[in-house]
Amino acid sequence: MEILSGLAQGFAVAFTPANILFALVGVTVGQLIGVLPGIGPPAGVALLLPLTFGMDPTSAMIMFAGIYYGAMYGGTITSVLINVPGEASSVMTTLDGYQLALQGRAGAALGIAAIGSFIAGISSVILFSFFAWWLVRAALHFGPPEYFALMVLAFTLVIGLTGRSPLKGFISLLLGLFLSIVGVDILTGLPRFTFGQLKLLSGVEFVPVAMGLFGIAEVLSSVEEKEEAEFVKADLRLRNLFPTIQDWVMSRWAILRGTLIGFFVGILPGAGATTASMISYAVEKRLSQTPERFGRGAIEGVAGPESSNNAAAVGALIPLITLGIPGSATTAVMMGALLMYGLRPGPLLFQQNPQFVWGLIASMFLGNLLLLAMNTMFIPAFTSVLRLPRAILNAFVIAFSVVGVYSIDNSLFDVWLMLFFGLVGFFMKKLEYPAAPLLLALVLGEILEMSLRQSLLMSQGSPLIFLTRPISASLLALSLVTLFPLLYRGVKGLSLARKASMIPRT
Amino acid sequence: MPFGVGGGSDILARNIAKVIQEEKLLPQPLVVVNKPGGSGAVGYSYVASKRGDPYVIATVSSSFWTTPLLGQSPVNYQHFTPVAGLVYDTYLLLVNQNSAIKSLRDLVEVAKRSPKLVTVGGTGATSDDAVVTYIFQKETGIQLNLIPFRSGGEVMTALLGRQVTIAWANPGEAIGQIEGKLARPLAVAAEKRLRQLPEVPTFKELGINLVFRQLRGVVMPLDVPRDAVKIMETALLKMAKSKSWQQNYVDRNMLVPAPMGSEEFGKAIVAINEMYKKVFTELGVIK
Repeated sequence: MEILSGLAQGFAVAFTPANILFALVGVTVGQLIGVLPGIGPPAGVALLLPLTFGMDPTSAMIMFAGIYYGAMYGGTITSVLINVPGEASSVMTTLDGYQLALQGRAGAALGIAAIGSFIAGISSVILFSFFAWWLVRAALHFGPPEYFALMVLAFTLVIGLTGRSPLKGFISLLLGLFLSIVGVDILTGLPRFTFGQLKLLSGVEFVPVAMGLFGIAEVLSSVEEKEEAEFVKADLRLRNLFPTIQDWVMSRWAILRGTLIGFFVGILPGAGATTASMISYAVEKRLSQTPERFGRGAIEGVAGPESSNNAAAVGALIPLITLGIPGSATTAVMMGALLMYGLRPGPLLFQQNPQFVWGLIASMFLGNLLLLAMNTMFIPAFTSVLRLPRAILNAFVIAFSVVGVYSIDNSLFDVWLMLFFGLVGFFMKKLEYPAAPLLLALVLGEILEMSLRQSLLMSQGSPLIFLTRPISASLLALSLVTLFPLLYRGVKGLSLARKASMIPRT
Repeated sequence: MPFGVGGGSDILARNIAKVIQEEKLLPQPLVVVNKPGGSGAVGYSYVASKRGDPYVIATVSSSFWTTPLLGQSPVNYQHFTPVAGLVYDTYLLLVNQNSAIKSLRDLVEVAKRSPKLVTVGGTGATSDDAVVTYIFQKETGIQLNLIPFRSGGEVMTALLGRQVTIAWANPGEAIGQIEGKLARPLAVAAEKRLRQLPEVPTFKELGINLVFRQLRGVVMPLDVPRDAVKIMETALLKMAKSKSWQQNYVDRNMLVPAPMGSEEFGKAIVAINEMYKKVFTELGVIK
C-alpha cells in the first residue's frame, strides 16, 4: 500500500539520530513556549526560523511541528497550577484544571492532559496519514456560511457554560461580543470603538484579557481571603500525582470526542486550536450526566479540551501540506519557512518530496511519545510548585504574567490591559459572573461577524444562503437541537407561571 | 509587516530577513512581525507610531497608499521615511480549475449577463484586489461582487472551495496551486507575459486596458537618524543585487526587480500616490 510504504519511508527519515534530536529540541522548546504565557507557537517558530537556514528542510519542519504540538502540551501546566493559561488554547483547561489543583489533584489533571494529548496526537497523525486528501477536500466545502453556522453552534453550546445564573452568563457573553468588535473593521477599513488608541486598531488581544480574567483575578481574590497558607490541601505523595483508574474511565470518551472535534476544527483554516478546545469543553459539559461538576474540578473538563487542542495542531498542518494554504498563524510561518527552503507546499509536495512529507508525519509519532514521557515524568517536579507559600506564589504569578504579556508585542499597553481585566475578573468573580463566556465570545465573535457579513455579501443580502447550503443548514439545525432543552425548560417555566393566570397565547 | 501571514507582503518580509542574515548585511537579524487588519491601517499606524525608532522597518505594498487615500488610516506616506524600492509585483486573475469559465471572454460574458453574480475573492475592501477589480469593471463595463477575506491564504482557500468564482493573487502566491492544477489563471495584469507562465495572456492582448503592478519596498518611521536610514538603504540595495535574492525571491515569486535608493523611492512613492488618487477620483471612490 502506498501510504504504508510512505510511512515506512517516513520512519526511516524521522529516526535518523539528527532528526530524533531535532524532534526533541522542537518538543522541548514547544513545551517551554507553552508554559510561558504570552509567547505562543507562531512567535516560537518565527524566532527559531533564522537558525534553520542552511539546515535540511525536513529536520527544520520536524522541529517546527514539534514546537507547535509541544506548546499544546506545555500550555496545560500553568493553567492547572496557577490558573494562568500558557496558551490561548489552554484557557478552557483553567476552568477545571485549577479547581483540581486546589483539591490537591494537580497531578491527576496534568496526567490526564498528557495522556489525552498523546492519544489525540497519535490518532490525528494516523488520520492525517490515511485521510489527508479526503479531509481537506471536505474542509474546502466550508465557506463563509458554514463558518457562520459553526459559530452559531459554538455559541449555542456556550450558553451551556453560563453557570448558575443564565442571565449573568449572557451578560458576560455580550461583553465579550462587544470586545470582539473593537478594532478596524476588515470589510470597510474603518476603526470601531478604538477611542483613538492605535493599539486598539488591531482589536482587543485575547491573551492579556484571558490572563487578566483568570491569573490576575485569582491572585486578587486569594489576597482578599484572609487565611494564610492552606491554599492547597495538597497531598503531594507520589500515589496522588497520577490519574486514577476512575479518572481514566471518566475521561476516555471526552478524550475521543475531543480528538475528533479538535482534528476537524483544526483542519478548517481560520478556526484553530482555541476554538476547538472551547467547543470540546462545551460539548463535554453538555453531554455530561453531572454538568454541575464542571467548573468545580471535573476531570473530563481537562481531558476533552486538552486532547482537542493537540489534535487541532496536527489537523492544521493538513491544508498546509496538501494545498499549500496555511490555516493558522503557526502554519503560516511554517509555510514561509518552506518557501525559503525552496519547497513549495501544495498539491505537488506529496509527489515531489515524499521523503519530506512522510518524514514529517512519522516524526510526529516520535514527538508525541517524547512529550508523553516528559509530561508524565516531570509531574512531581511541576506540582512541587504548589508547595510554595501562597504569598510567594502570587508574586511569581504576577511577575510571570506581566513579563509574558509584555513579550507578545513589547507593549506596555497589553500589560495595562491585562491588569485592567484582572480587576474586571476580580469583580466578576465576586459577583458570580462567569468569565468563560466573555472569552469565548471574544474569540468566536470576530469569526461570527466576519462570516455573517461575507455570507450576506455572497448572497447579496439574502439570509436564505444559510439554509440552502446543506452543511450550513445541518449545523444550524444542530444548533436548534442543542438549544431545544433550554427552550423547552424556558417555555415550561413560562407556561407554568402562566397557567395560574390562564392567559391564552396566540 | 502590516498584513496577515501567507500573502505576498509576508513572503517579501521573510525573504528580506533571510537574505540580510545570510549575506550578513546587517549586524543583527531582522524579526518579522505580522500586524494585519484594516487593509494595512493597523500595521502602518503601529510602525508610524514608532517615530525615531531606527529598529523598525515596514514593507510597502499598495495599501500603503490606498488605505490613507480612502481616509481609513490615521497615517499616510508622509508619516514615513522612504528607504528602498525593491520589486514590482503584478496580479493574476484566477478561477478554480474546474470552473466552467475557461477564458477571460467567458468571464466577461457571464458577468455581463448577470451583473453582481460573479463573486471575487480579495483581501480587504480597499486593497489592491479591490482597486484592480474596480479598474477591471470599468474597462469591461461589468459588475462583480467583491468578498473581502482576512489574508491571501483565505482568499485562495475560498477559490479552491469554490466559495468565490474568481480571485486575484500575486503570481508568487498562486504558483503552487496553479502547478498543482487546483487553480487556473485567466490573465495577467502585466505589460508582458510572465516568463514562468508563458501561456497566460495579458489583459492588454485580450483587448482590456488593464495593467496593474505594485511596487514593493521598505520604509521606516519618521525622525529616524539619517545614518540609520543610510545603513538600511545600503544593506537593502546590496541584498537586491545578491544572487540568493534573485534566485530565492525574485525568480521564485515571479517578480520584476526594481531596486531604488531612498531618494528615488521617495519620488516613486509620491508618483504612485498621485496615480491612486487619480484612479480613485475617476472611479468616484474619493472626491
